[in-house]
Amino acid sequence: MPNKIILILVYFFLMQRNSFAYLDPGTGSIILQAILGFIAAAGASVVLYWTKFKELLSKIFKSKNKKSE
Amino acid sequence: MNKLDYEPGSFRDPTARVFYYKDSIYREIFPAGEEKLKFLKEKNLLKDLIDKNFLIGSEELKKKHFDFIDENSIVIKHDKLNFISYPYEWTFNELKDAALFHLDFQIYLLERSAQLVDASAYNVQFRNNKPIFIDLLSIDKYREGEYWVAHKQFCENFLNPLVLTSKKGINFNNWFRGNLEGISTHELSSILNLKDLINPTIFFHVYLLNKIEEKSQKNPNKVTEKIKTSKGLSKNSFRSMLISLKKFIESLNLRKQSSIWDQYSTNNSYSKEDERKKIKAVTGFLKKNNFKLLGDLGCNDGKYSKLATENNVETVIGFDFDLKVLDRAYLNAKKNSLNFFPLYLDASNPSGNLGWNDSERMSFQRRASFDGIFALALTHHLAIAKNIPLNQILSWLVSLAPKGIIEFVPKEDPTTQIMLSLKGDIFPQYNEENFEQQLSKLAKIENISVVSETNRKIYEYKRL
Repeated sequence: MPNKIILILVYFFLMQRNSFAYLDPGTGSIILQAILGFIAAAGASVVLYWTKFKELLSKIFKSKNKKSE
Repeated sequence: MNKLDYEPGSFRDPTARVFYYKDSIYREIFPAGEEKLKFLKEKNLLKDLIDKNFLIGSEELKKKHFDFIDENSIVIKHDKLNFISYPYEWTFNELKDAALFHLDFQIYLLERSAQLVDASAYNVQFRNNKPIFIDLLSIDKYREGEYWVAHKQFCENFLNPLVLTSKKGINFNNWFRGNLEGISTHELSSILNLKDLINPTIFFHVYLLNKIEEKSQKNPNKVTEKIKTSKGLSKNSFRSMLISLKKFIESLNLRKQSSIWDQYSTNNSYSKEDERKKIKAVTGFLKKNNFKLLGDLGCNDGKYSKLATENNVETVIGFDFDLKVLDRAYLNAKKNSLNFFPLYLDASNPSGNLGWNDSERMSFQRRASFDGIFALALTHHLAIAKNIPLNQILSWLVSLAPKGIIEFVPKEDPTTQIMLSLKGDIFPQYNEENFEQQLSKLAKIENISVVSETNRKIYEYKRL
């Protein structure tokens, strides 16, 4: 999914074609929502991994503390 | 109103149509719209939305209630509003409250696996200063992964006009009235500067949206294909987007600019004694009548509208052309729970019949079904500043309501003198004698009160 979004973005910002047809005015809005959805999902993933990373750190430190006791 | 009238503005919904009959308002739902109604009735959603004041009262009538309605249709009777207003007549904070209401409504619906399929600001109306949604068929089932189909419409009807006024200091009203779909993303985007774009909401929902639209116009087939194969928007992302829009709109404020009329009710040419006389004259008129709906033309900050609400008037709709003062009037009315709703109106250029077939949005005149009107300190502005002949002003005012009070401000009054000082006295017809003569042709003058030392007079009229 993220790869697809990046491809769509690259496509829109780099490609220039001749206009030839009418497009439903809501289409741009849907693409924007896909981008926002991706950002939100990416943000959520970062938060998730950060939480996991913190949990891992606390586990390591707890086990070290236990050993030193 | 005893006859059947179809609402010309309801043509956009192919599944229903709105009609008026014997002073009540109904919606005829065709078989194609039955599924939506069924969904609304499931799990008591319809009742719940009405009880929570999200949706206007809507009661399903028994079949064959009206012999002129097809037996396959379902008829819903709606609560009737005192006055229908349009977003281009709202003040900044009125549109802001309507936008926040719309988002709150959508967030609530999402919790109940429903959604709004459009985001037309015309579907939000105000009842006792509180927004309420009027179109039950805009509500439909939500399916996980669906995009917010009304996103662009929300931007153009709500977000963009608010950004235009808050960030650029341009009142959205006349622009909105020129394009009934709101402020286009493309137009707003072209006046944004770098400072505006730092804000993520403006960057994504205005600038980037416009850029994507421009690009997607180039190769629509490919874009449509990509969209069809995309995964969709999760419910959580949808909700987050609504909440972030809500937070952004909550942060928007009207720019601080002073206007000539800003301090008018506290800083005017009236002495304390004159003011007392004016209040007495207005109160006397109100006590003699029992108005349900009163129009206050030139309401300023709503001082006399408030007086009306305190003297048996059920609802007052105020009109003025100074949006800053009107906005203050709205916030004050809201704070004090007054049944007074102020709207933008330039009396020399009132809202006309607009939209498809010149009938989608009704003119001010068509909606003006007032029992009474106030036109206090108004006529001299139209006559002297706008050069409108007295007979035409009076004819317009009297056409708005069968009863009312109209204040005449003579040329000797300091405010009129200021207006004449640069223009020169090119108004030989503007005098008390002509005023009385013209008013008498249209109405019976029931009472005259002198309300100032400069001989300002308040005329009570009853239409002939």
